[in-house]
Amino acid sequence: MDVDIPEETAQSSTQYRDSRRPTLVIVDDQHPFDLDGYIANYTGRTAIDRLIHIISTCPTLAPEAFQLAVQHIHLSRDPSLYQQVMSAYDHVSGASEAPLPSGNDLPSIDTKWADEMMAKNQAERSKLEVELKTYSNNMIKESIRMGHRDLGDFYRSVGEYPTALKHYTKSREFCTTSQHVLEMCLSVLELLIEQRNYSHLPTYVFKADAALEAASAAASNAKEGDAATAPAAAPLLNKRKAVSEDRERVQSKLDFATALSSLASGNYQKAAHSFLKLGPAKDLGDWMTRLVAPGDIAVYGVLCALASLKRSALKTEILENSTFGVYIEQEPYVRELVEAYLSSNFKTVLELLNRYSSRHSLDIYLASHVVELTNMIRNWAVVLYFQPFASIKLDRMSGAFGWTVEEVEEQVVNLIQSGSIHGRVDSQNKILYAKQTDYRAELFARAIKAGRDIQSTNRKVLLRMRLQQADLTIKAPKGYAASSIADLMQGD
Amino acid sequence: MAPDSLSLDRILNDITTTTNLASLNHTLKNGLPKESRETILSSPLASNQDPLTILDMRQNTLGVLYIMSARLNTTNAPVPPNLVTNFCHNFLPEQARLAPERVTMLAKGIMRLASQHNNISWAVDPLQNLLARYPPDRSYLTTIHPIFLQTCLMANQPTAALPVLRHPIANISTALSDLTYNDNLIYHYLGGMALAVLKRWAEAEEYFEICVTAPGAVPAALQFEALKKLRLVQLISRGAVSPLPKYAHGSLSRLLKNSVYTDLINAYPQNTERLHMLLDKEKQAFSSDRNLGLVLQVIDRAPRWTLKKLTATYVTLGLGDIARVVGISSEDEVRALILSMIETGDISAQISASGTVTFSDPPPQFTKEEVDTVLYDAQRQSDVLEALELETARSKEFINKAVKSQDGGSWAANTEEEMYSLSAWDNDSMFG
Repeated sequence: MDVDIPEETAQSSTQYRDSRRPTLVIVDDQHPFDLDGYIANYTGRTAIDRLIHIISTCPTLAPEAFQLAVQHIHLSRDPSLYQQVMSAYDHVSGASEAPLPSGNDLPSIDTKWADEMMAKNQAERSKLEVELKTYSNNMIKESIRMGHRDLGDFYRSVGEYPTALKHYTKSREFCTTSQHVLEMCLSVLELLIEQRNYSHLPTYVFKADAALEAASAAASNAKEGDAATAPAAAPLLNKRKAVSEDRERVQSKLDFATALSSLASGNYQKAAHSFLKLGPAKDLGDWMTRLVAPGDIAVYGVLCALASLKRSALKTEILENSTFGVYIEQEPYVRELVEAYLSSNFKTVLELLNRYSSRHSLDIYLASHVVELTNMIRNWAVVLYFQPFASIKLDRMSGAFGWTVEEVEEQVVNLIQSGSIHGRVDSQNKILYAKQTDYRAELFARAIKAGRDIQSTNRKVLLRMRLQQADLTIKAPKGYAASSIADLMQGD
Repeated sequence: MAPDSLSLDRILNDITTTTNLASLNHTLKNGLPKESRETILSSPLASNQDPLTILDMRQNTLGVLYIMSARLNTTNAPVPPNLVTNFCHNFLPEQARLAPERVTMLAKGIMRLASQHNNISWAVDPLQNLLARYPPDRSYLTTIHPIFLQTCLMANQPTAALPVLRHPIANISTALSDLTYNDNLIYHYLGGMALAVLKRWAEAEEYFEICVTAPGAVPAALQFEALKKLRLVQLISRGAVSPLPKYAHGSLSRLLKNSVYTDLINAYPQNTERLHMLLDKEKQAFSSDRNLGLVLQVIDRAPRWTLKKLTATYVTLGLGDIARVVGISSEDEVRALILSMIETGDISAQISASGTVTFSDPPPQFTKEEVDTVLYDAQRQSDVLEALELETARSKEFINKAVKSQDGGSWAANTEEEMYSLSAWDNDSMFG
């Protein structure tokens, strides 16, 4: 299977982080951000990952985030994370203008703890590897699978993603039921999300879907869980009788993974739909704090929806969706955003977006999309605003959006050129006119053009047919295979 | 010396006396030994007279054709140029069509003669006559076509080719002329060049396109050259490229993708800086492709397309703003550009005294006559197609195929394949 993934993913994730670094986020009174409150939503590795992201993008918060990160590292099993935190901090203090406290003044890691942890990790690894070897010698499929799984979990906790992925995928060879496959897929998904490697998510979601299908079919056939598989499935799906409930739970995770991968690939509409149909927070189980917080889902969902969905869809899918409403409660400003948007109060929308832009760009999943999402929302807003008018003064628009007239003109011109607004600008008098089309004349022009095009195409196609009938087709010269000719031509 | 039966006097006698042209053609073609045929045909008469002066250019077309084509292609028996011109004016097409390969030889010979005399333009007239009179009508492609166009271009008289180029090729008959696929490619390629020289962009585009989309199992190098020129011509005439028809050979566009032309297309027309950089860097490549002239025209016209885009966005705009967007520094140049575009009808706009340009787009107008012509053309076209359809439906090939495909249903195989691929996946995921 996907054994070749590890190297590739390790590379891509580091490049990804590097490329994003230059944009620094400002946090001040206009752009509030509550670091403690934010990070309290997460546990485990994602908290540290998020802190690293914050350190590397936001100099103002860096020292505070650094302290928190060190605290969190002590709770984890991966001392090497400290190096990452440190290098992110050094990098940002080099990049920011205001001097930051030097790294030496900040709390450093407890070296004793680090040494102990390293030793412990080493011991555990040998233990697990020996176990796996024994299992393999005994050829007990189920035990081998568990051995691989445990090793996968272990490597994940110490941050060796490629090896973890290798063990997870290896465990698949020893899966005997679809429950196991499902479990494996979910572990891989969690790993991939944590690693922010989105391109492979859909593959595993797809596999998990099929496994889920098969598992629930099997479960409904045999109401009583068969003894052999029950213990193995325990961690994720321990109660086999509540089939549909289990199913929904897994489905929610899969939906979340799909949503994230759509978001990462820039398919915001699909992402919006996936986020908005997520089940209640408890369905996501331990993913909820280990990967994402409910507030995040509200933010992701709403931003994607505002950027890509129609107003009617927004109303039914966000405001009238009680499950998603629960998520929204976590971030009250998101509701304000939607309501302002629906009441066409675009100035408020843009102000809110601006105010919380730091919150958005400090999020690890959203950061690289904030600018584009904001642009899309703004463009939509301008399009919606102009729709009912035949002509409008640009300074009136500037009032409605809180921009200067020049900004409005630039926006509008961009939108016209991209075809989103059908209008023209009177640059001298600063008026935007809706385009008046003479449909009758246009129809004539189009019909005549189509006629001419078809005639000339017909002529060309008929000539081609005649050439073929006369067998005047181009043949490779004798002694040349088709490929060598292509090479020849490539050469010149 | 050749025996009597094979001497030119004897042949001349045959030519002048025979009434059966087909058998004469047979004699001339096969009655003479292969290796010495051309020598015999180009030898002088026993009386040392020039046979071409004895024969009647009209009545003895076939004989003259054989002798003249043979003599034009050897060095030791020159033909007086005025005789060639005379023949091209007067020959009987029906007779000439009996020996298409000699017509090809004649055309090539005319070109050779002209280049021997260092007077290429002389060949234009006889070839034009030959071309006009030989085929049954102008829609047939012959081997003379590419030769004629090459002559026109070499003689720097592209206008002379216009009467020929005006009639698009629609018929191919290998019985009429011993064509190869190259004749078709070269003719349309050269046609495109001639039209491009005359700045008739739309027609040039069509000719290049025919060359690019000629059928074939492998792409020809000439097609790739034609594609490059096609793209440049499209940029000049429309400011953008349009996709090739689906039936064009796929590797042609792949080849183009790796060339500098794709960079040019991508940067066009907005990115003036990049365009000039590209020109500086790739000048060598463009000129070795013989496309430098076209490329320069492409780049010259870039501001026009940028300006045209502006008309769709703005109602009024100051000259200074336009100059900024278009990338021209002086307002006077912009004014001149706008004026020339208004003159050629590319845009409709007014420039006020204060330097404000007001764009308008008057709806397209069509006169009654135009609409009538279009409708008439459409009707004629549909007649042609209908006739063609009936002809195809009658043809043996078509009926054979139609009967064959009725017997075996093809859908069953497809669904089976689909099912197989699905089930294969399931197995794999469950217990792999």
